[in-house]
This record gives sequence, structure tokens and C-alpha cells, in this order.
Amino acid sequence: MNRKTSSLSMGKLFSISGIIVVLLALIPLLTGRTDVITWFTFTLMYVTLSQSWNIIGGYTGQQNLGHAAFFGIGALTARYLWLFGMPLPLALLAGSLAAAAFAIIIGFPAFRLKGVYFVIGTLVLAEILRIVFDTLLPRASVLPSRLLNVYSLTPRYYLNLIIAVLAIGCVYWISRSKFGLGLMSIRENVDAAEASGVNTQKYKLLAFLLSTFMSGLAGGTYAYYASAAQPGYLFSAVWTFDAVIIAFVGGVGTILGPVIGSVFFVLIQQLLSLYLPGGIHVLVFGILFILVVLFLPGGLIGLWKKITGPDSKNGGGRIDSRD
Amino acid sequence: MILEIKNLLKSFGGLVAIKDLHFTVSDGEIIGLIGPNGSGKTTLFNLISGFLKPDSGGIRFNGGDITGLKPHRICRTGIARTFQLTKPFGGMTALQNIMVGRMYGAEWGGRVRQAEEECEKILEFVGLGGRGLFFASSFNIVDRKRLEIARALATKPKLLLLDEMMSGLTHTEMEEALQLVKTIGHSGITLIVVEHVMKVILDVSSRLIVLNHGEKIAEGNPQEVVRNEKVIEAYLGE
Repeated sequence: MNRKTSSLSMGKLFSISGIIVVLLALIPLLTGRTDVITWFTFTLMYVTLSQSWNIIGGYTGQQNLGHAAFFGIGALTARYLWLFGMPLPLALLAGSLAAAAFAIIIGFPAFRLKGVYFVIGTLVLAEILRIVFDTLLPRASVLPSRLLNVYSLTPRYYLNLIIAVLAIGCVYWISRSKFGLGLMSIRENVDAAEASGVNTQKYKLLAFLLSTFMSGLAGGTYAYYASAAQPGYLFSAVWTFDAVIIAFVGGVGTILGPVIGSVFFVLIQQLLSLYLPGGIHVLVFGILFILVVLFLPGGLIGLWKKITGPDSKNGGGRIDSRD
Repeated sequence: MILEIKNLLKSFGGLVAIKDLHFTVSDGEIIGLIGPNGSGKTTLFNLISGFLKPDSGGIRFNGGDITGLKPHRICRTGIARTFQLTKPFGGMTALQNIMVGRMYGAEWGGRVRQAEEECEKILEFVGLGGRGLFFASSFNIVDRKRLEIARALATKPKLLLLDEMMSGLTHTEMEEALQLVKTIGHSGITLIVVEHVMKVILDVSSRLIVLNHGEKIAEGNPQEVVRNEKVIEAYLGE
């Protein structure tokens, strides 16, 4: 089909993305307002976090509600190693690897659970870790004064920018690779995937590894950002539900959904916290989430495609892998 | 000989679904597998394709033992199957459905674009030309069956198990499907066809195997087998 026109729009997409990234890179040079930079930093961190959930929940169809466990492991590992003097990139890598290693350990038993049991099992797992770390490490980890004195948001912002771009790139690759086809076939029908030659156990586990590695990386960036962090809070279910809500509101199983979802999420969060008592944004997002699941299964991306493209059946939709 | 089933036994609790089954299939044959409801046809397909493990007995394919292998391994040895109730990857395009079969079911080292081109040809072959970018969930029953066959063919099978391709089709659609099955058979792929429509089975198969209560009660030339007293009895009762 009209490949020429579509590859043209592909090129356009790449140039637009490039321009956006450059503009984002300029932000700290243009403004010194810490509140603005904090917004952007959080938005970018949410992009990474929700993309990481998107890989296992959106593309592979395994509704992992224990995502916070891997965020927490990544965050805690990276933070302590960094505070003990390990170079930041290595500490981040170690955190991500620790998250993925934990995924291997629990992946084998967890994927024996099907459907709602997998959902409950993963949810419980993260809660157990939260309680364990609340008990073991009840005191908040505060940056020492040597680091606090030189604390600057700018490197935090750039770190999150780089990692978010990598996360989007990773999901982009998944969406148009053999690997991604395998993941999607598992989401759509496990039996048919097996019958077509997909080693479903192996690919579920690979998706889980990639997803948890990325989640650990998001955790690491948070550990680097936070001047004080309660270890138990790093495992809080909030991280899971933020990621899930962002992915669904933006458009689950798509490349851009989590990006749009994150922008929207942080924007609403900030606006609501200006006018409403703290924590109300969670309620608003809960309601929004229910509305999206009920009436807009494609999320904001799906809505956008419905408005712009009358041929919604033809390509597009949940999978943006075909050009 | 491409497939050898030897003393195959499978029971679910107290119910014996396949009882000491024994038969062989030669390269290029089109086997019609018939029998009343519950006679074990689909169970046999599930055993051959690895979705069920036999209690005892063995399955040899193309010279190797495939008993108890997982479905994806069996697929890669060259056995493809369709499902009686079609299982399309609904949230993926038709082309993507077939590409899964092409890239995972058979050796693949090429580029995605290359697989796309190959799979477009397969789509055309089964009569879905130009529909590649539509979601499989938007397909009607006939097209889902075509898609199911296309996905199976994309794995480059030597042996293809077709489970009730004709159910739910109108007369004309059946004729088209019949032609498709014949074309596949002529291309050198060995076929085992489960079918309830007798006209189809007699027309297409070179040999008939009849199951009843998990046992083989007749085997041989289609015209002769359907006149076999045991077979008539199994279908009509005493």
C-alpha cells in the first residue's frame, strides 16, 4: 500500500521528535524556574516508568500490578550505591540489573499464574516488599550535606530526558520488530502464538526483564532526584498505579500513549494541587481511568486517531507498528 | 512416511479419549479424519500439535520423536494446525498475524520488510489480498478461517492439520475453501483434515481414517470406508 507517503510521514515523525527533544534540551538554559524544571523532570520520569509498564502490560498483555517492586529495587540499589561513592551511571545500571534479576526469580512462579491470579500475585509481591523495607529501613535516606550543597536540578533533568528518549526508542523498536510481534501475539492469544511457533514462556519472561530493567532505571533516576527518600515509599503501590493509569489514559500498547499520558498526568496533577487539597488528583485520575477503560479503550491516542483518521480499521489503532 | 502414531493413549480422568491408536501417514497424502462428535478427533490434533501430552505411546514426525514436545517446538519441526474455533490475533493486522507465523514458525534471519512482502503473497494466496492492514478482529468468519490457514501456511509446514474448516460456511464459501485445500495439497504439503461435511471429505481425501470413542474403527479408500458397516453403525447407531 501507499508506502511512499507513509515513509514520508515516518520521516516527518522523526524530525518532529528530534525538534521536540532539542527544545526540551534547551529548557534549563531558557528558564531558571525550579518549579518548571521539576515538572518536566517528573513528566520525563513518568514517561520512562509508564513505557516500562507498557512493554509488559500493553504489548505483552500481562497485567503486572507489582511494578512498584522493580521501581523500588532499582531506586534503593542505585541510591545506596551512589551514596557509597559508586559513579552514578554504574549505580543506575546496577539498580536496573537488580530489578531485572529479581524479575527472573519471581518471573518463573509468577507466570504460572494466569489472568487475575497473576494480577493479584504481583500486587501482593510489591506490597510485601514495601512492608519489609518499611520495617528494615524505617528512616528516610537523606542526601549528605556534601551533595545537598551542590544539588542542582539541571543534571536530574537531563538524566531523565536521556533515559526517557531511550525508553521511547526501545518501545519504538519493539513495536516494529520480530520481538514485538511475538509479544503482541502472546497478548492476543497464547494458544495461537504457541501454534505459530512462539515460545510464549520465554518471550513473556524476556518482556518482563526488559520492562523491569526499565522500571528499575526510572527508580534510579528518582533516587538521584530525591533529596530525601523513605525506602518503603519507593515500593509504594502509587508507582504502579501512576504507570498503569498513564498508560491507559494515554493509550495502552502504543508508542506515544504513555508520552501523552505522562504530560497530561503531570499537568493535571500540578493544576489540581494548586486549587485543591493535596491528594485529590489521585481521585480525579481514578475516575478518569474508569471512564477511559469504559468508554475509550484506545486512550487519548485512540481518540485522536478516531478524530483524524476515518479509516480507523485500516492500520493505526492500538498498534502503531505498521507504517 | 512422514507421521507415525504408535499405541497412543490419552484419558481425561476416567474418560479414555484416545485408545491405543496406531496409524501412519505418507508424504503428500491428504488424510480425511472423521468420526462422530466426541470421537477424539480434536484430541488427536491436540496430541500431535503438542497442546496435550499423551499418557503413553509415541508420535514420530519426519524421522524424529516429537512426543511431549511443546507446541512451538512442534511447529518448528514442520507441523502447523488451525483451530476449530478460529483464534486470530484480533488486535493485530492481518499481515501481522501471518508475520508471526512466518518469523517464528520457520527459520527466519531476514528483515521485517522482507517478511511483510512474503506474507502479502500468502494473503493473496488464501484470498485476502489487499486486506493486510485491516485488524483481524474486523474479519468475518470466512476471512478468519482464511487467515487461520494463512498463518499456518506461513510457518512453512510439511504437515498441516485442518480442524473443521468448513463449519459455518455457506455452500459457495465451502466450494472456495475446498479449492484452497486442494491447492495446498497439490503444493506438496501433507494434510490431515477433520471435517463433518461428507461431500467435502470424500472429494478431497486420498485416504480416510474413522475414529469412534477414541479408537480407529476403519481406514482406507474413502468410497469403501463410508460403506463399511462399523462406520455406518457408529454414525447412525444400531
